[in-house]
Amino acid sequence: MSTVDDPRERLEFLQGTLEVLILRSLQPGPNHAYGISQFLERQSGDEFLVDNGSLYPALQRLLQRAWIAAQWKTSPHGRRARYYRLTPAGRKQLLAATSRWQRFVEAMGRILATEG
Amino acid sequence: MLRECWSKLCRILTGRRGLASDLSAEIDAHLEFEVRENIALGMPADEARAAARRHIGNLTRIHERAAEAWSFPSLESIAQDLRYGLRGIRRSPGFSLVVVLTLALGIGANTAIFSVVNAVLLRPLPYPAAERLVWLGESDPKAEGISVTWVNFQHWRNENHSFEDMAGFRAAHLTLTGRGEPLLTRAGLVTHGFFGLVGAQPVLGRFFSASDDLPGAVPTAVLDYRFWIGKLGADPAVVGATLALDGKPYEVIGVLAPGLHFFPQSIDYYLPLHEFEGEVVDRARHGSMRLLARLKPGVTLASALADLDLIMQRLAQSDPGPETQHRAAGAFLTEYTTGDVRPTLLILLAAAGLVLILACANVASLALARATARSREIAIRAAIGAGRKRLVRQLLTENLLLAALGGVAGGLLAQWASGALIAAGPRDIPRLADTSFDWRVLSFAAVITMLTGLLTGIAAVITAGRRDLASALKDSARSGTGRGGQRSRSVLVVAQIAITLVLAFAAGSLLRNLVVAQTADPGFVPENVLALELVLPSASYKSPQAVGGFYDQLERDLHGLPGVTSVGAVRCPPSVGDCGDWFYSILGRPAPQPSDVPIALFNTADRDYFGAMRIPLREGRTFGDGDRAGTPLVAIVNETFARKWWPAESAVGHRVKWGGPYRDGPIYQIVGVAGNVSQMGLGTEPYPEVYLPFSQSPDRAMVVMIRAGGDASSLAPAVRRRVTAIDGNLPIESLRPFTATVAASLSQRRFSTLLLALFAGLAMALAAVGIYGLLNYWVRVREGEIAIRMALGAPRPSILRWAGWQALRLSLLGALIGMLGSWPASRFMEDLVFGVSHDFATLAAGGLVVVAIAMIAAAIPVWRATHVDAVNKLHRA
Repeated sequence: MSTVDDPRERLEFLQGTLEVLILRSLQPGPNHAYGISQFLERQSGDEFLVDNGSLYPALQRLLQRAWIAAQWKTSPHGRRARYYRLTPAGRKQLLAATSRWQRFVEAMGRILATEG
Repeated sequence: MLRECWSKLCRILTGRRGLASDLSAEIDAHLEFEVRENIALGMPADEARAAARRHIGNLTRIHERAAEAWSFPSLESIAQDLRYGLRGIRRSPGFSLVVVLTLALGIGANTAIFSVVNAVLLRPLPYPAAERLVWLGESDPKAEGISVTWVNFQHWRNENHSFEDMAGFRAAHLTLTGRGEPLLTRAGLVTHGFFGLVGAQPVLGRFFSASDDLPGAVPTAVLDYRFWIGKLGADPAVVGATLALDGKPYEVIGVLAPGLHFFPQSIDYYLPLHEFEGEVVDRARHGSMRLLARLKPGVTLASALADLDLIMQRLAQSDPGPETQHRAAGAFLTEYTTGDVRPTLLILLAAAGLVLILACANVASLALARATARSREIAIRAAIGAGRKRLVRQLLTENLLLAALGGVAGGLLAQWASGALIAAGPRDIPRLADTSFDWRVLSFAAVITMLTGLLTGIAAVITAGRRDLASALKDSARSGTGRGGQRSRSVLVVAQIAITLVLAFAAGSLLRNLVVAQTADPGFVPENVLALELVLPSASYKSPQAVGGFYDQLERDLHGLPGVTSVGAVRCPPSVGDCGDWFYSILGRPAPQPSDVPIALFNTADRDYFGAMRIPLREGRTFGDGDRAGTPLVAIVNETFARKWWPAESAVGHRVKWGGPYRDGPIYQIVGVAGNVSQMGLGTEPYPEVYLPFSQSPDRAMVVMIRAGGDASSLAPAVRRRVTAIDGNLPIESLRPFTATVAASLSQRRFSTLLLALFAGLAMALAAVGIYGLLNYWVRVREGEIAIRMALGAPRPSILRWAGWQALRLSLLGALIGMLGSWPASRFMEDLVFGVSHDFATLAAGGLVVVAIAMIAAAIPVWRATHVDAVNKLHRA
């Protein structure tokens, strides 16, 4: 899915995880699309490559579900950008998704770590 | 999910233009951030911008996918596919027109035939619980569907455990007097359960009840709606009035609501059958009554018949007679009423289906040729990022769209064609006139349209899918050769020729059969004969003497008309079918088993009948003035009868007993042998027949044959006047040239032959177009090759042979496969249609015609091949 040639293979998002990660990236405060992608790449230790062809549709879907809201604002550098912020429903969704994900990871880990 | 839909809907309602500009601005900002960051990392401005641009990826795709999130994806891309499809259709109008017309022919032919099949075979009969209605008759070891005797009917009705109700019915002709002109009217004679079984309602008065069927009941009548309106002026006070029918008064008790067409003929009124048969006590005394009955729910026809057989076995013990072997026979009413036309219609539907397959093959072939030409377009689309699925869907959509256009055109064509079918169809196909475009016909048309669209679309998809991008892009630069497509199209053409041959052979067999029937010597001369059909009312012609006297005088008077050369009368004229067959035996021969008693047609003719119809006398004499009531009974037999019993000697002088050895019956001495006539219709097998003299067994219903020196139809007014002069109260049943009667006996066969020939012609035209298109393409692709050959000195004839061989090879292969397929097809037809014989000559002729037509179609492209402008072509190449 990568749109860039990258010598090192990076991880692709599991189906549906990108949306949760976007929600999480907005938890500290509103951000624009580029900021979100930077946040995700940095926080993942550059393991994830954010494909803009996936990022923008995901943002649209989150808007549709009213988990985030969008607003044009001026950035600290004076550039106008579209800022996304979490809505209360988005916050609830993030909480639910996070705990589901942790249960999932623990279960996966238990199985994969089983010896034999 | 709901929330999502709602957001999408809101967005659509508030106008979605905003999204595009929002997104562009957003992505601009995105780029800007990235550039700034790159610069901050120390890149020069140009490089920073290029890197950011590279990093953000395919902008169009981001736009598309973000917009997609807001759309209802399937609906929108379908709309887009439709737009592309329409554009494709507009861009190649010639191709589209040919495809639409071809499909319209195929779909139209099928829909038209199906509309008839639907009306005649599929639509349920208009009676309550019609699927449980059955038709019942008696059977003996030799025949099924014999009439049920009144006595047996009573037992069946009262003792069965399988039927909800059961009613007897038959038709009769009665003369209505006392209301203006005397009128020959048709009565439906029924028992009281009849109206309930067919679900009829009275508009006035009541129907028969059980009491009307009791001995001694006042004779009652129920009027048909049309008769009440047309003949009785819709008199509201008709209930309680009296009708004089055959001189007997009937009290009108009700009027039937319009729309009951149970009897094949139109019926004027209904009378209790009991009035006509109720006094019969002999269990073997047959009238012509059949039964209508409704099975109890869950009872099968077989078990119901077994139930009736049990009753018959009981009766055989308690009331033995000549018919102890008789059992019950029955069929579901739907099958019974459509039995004759079912095979014909099914064959026609199959033929129409083959025509549709041919049409599909043509369209697929065209689509293959076009797909090769289009492979460049498709390759480009794939190269700029169209998904494979999407391309397939779009090709399918385009073909479905074409098919839909063809379906609409075909529907219009079918509507016109089914009107023509109704107008041209023979009158004896039940419910043909009810043909209409109901939901069944429309969904049939829709389904075959879809199928053709998918079928032709899949052909296009397969070819498109087979070509890899790179070679398509390179290849099509030099007008692609596409050998693979060529091979598929060759297969299609071979299949087309094979199918066409099967159809041509089927049509040829029927046609040959019809020609044989029409040209075969019918055994009589129908030209210049006027047939006058009369039924004397029993009320005014009670005695045999009165009947005899009337016809004697009539024939004398008619003979006196100028232009009339001879006049004779017969009860059952040739080619109209039989008027009853009956058991007989030959005196002096050992008596056959009761189940083997032979059957012959019994007819009545007068002295001059054979002369008037020019039926040759093979042996002995014709009836004479000496054969009167009181003199020894005589008979004339036909050749088949004579040869069956006396192959080597003369039949004259031998004696025939009517009814066979196990029943009472008169004995007739054979005085003559007449030539065979096609009694059951032209071209049918001759059947043993016995003629009794009218003078010894007069009949009220006779057909008087009036032969004139020239055209007989001009005599009609004079004939009418003579009849009225003798009996002013006598209605004339029919008066028309006998040739018309004879022609009518072939009408159904002529109809189906004509239709099948039409389909075969259609098939040939389609196959011709198919092979023309293929060869045309073949030549076009090889123009360069031909030019080189010619430049190297190949003479024209060798090019002609080379191209001609291509055409001939395909058509011969197709013809061979077609011949192999024709044989089982003809066996299938033989089983379904009486009298169709398959022969090799017809098959060979069909093969020749099909190959010839294929070669004619191929002539133009082959000619073009030999006239390739070699110099020019090579220069260009």
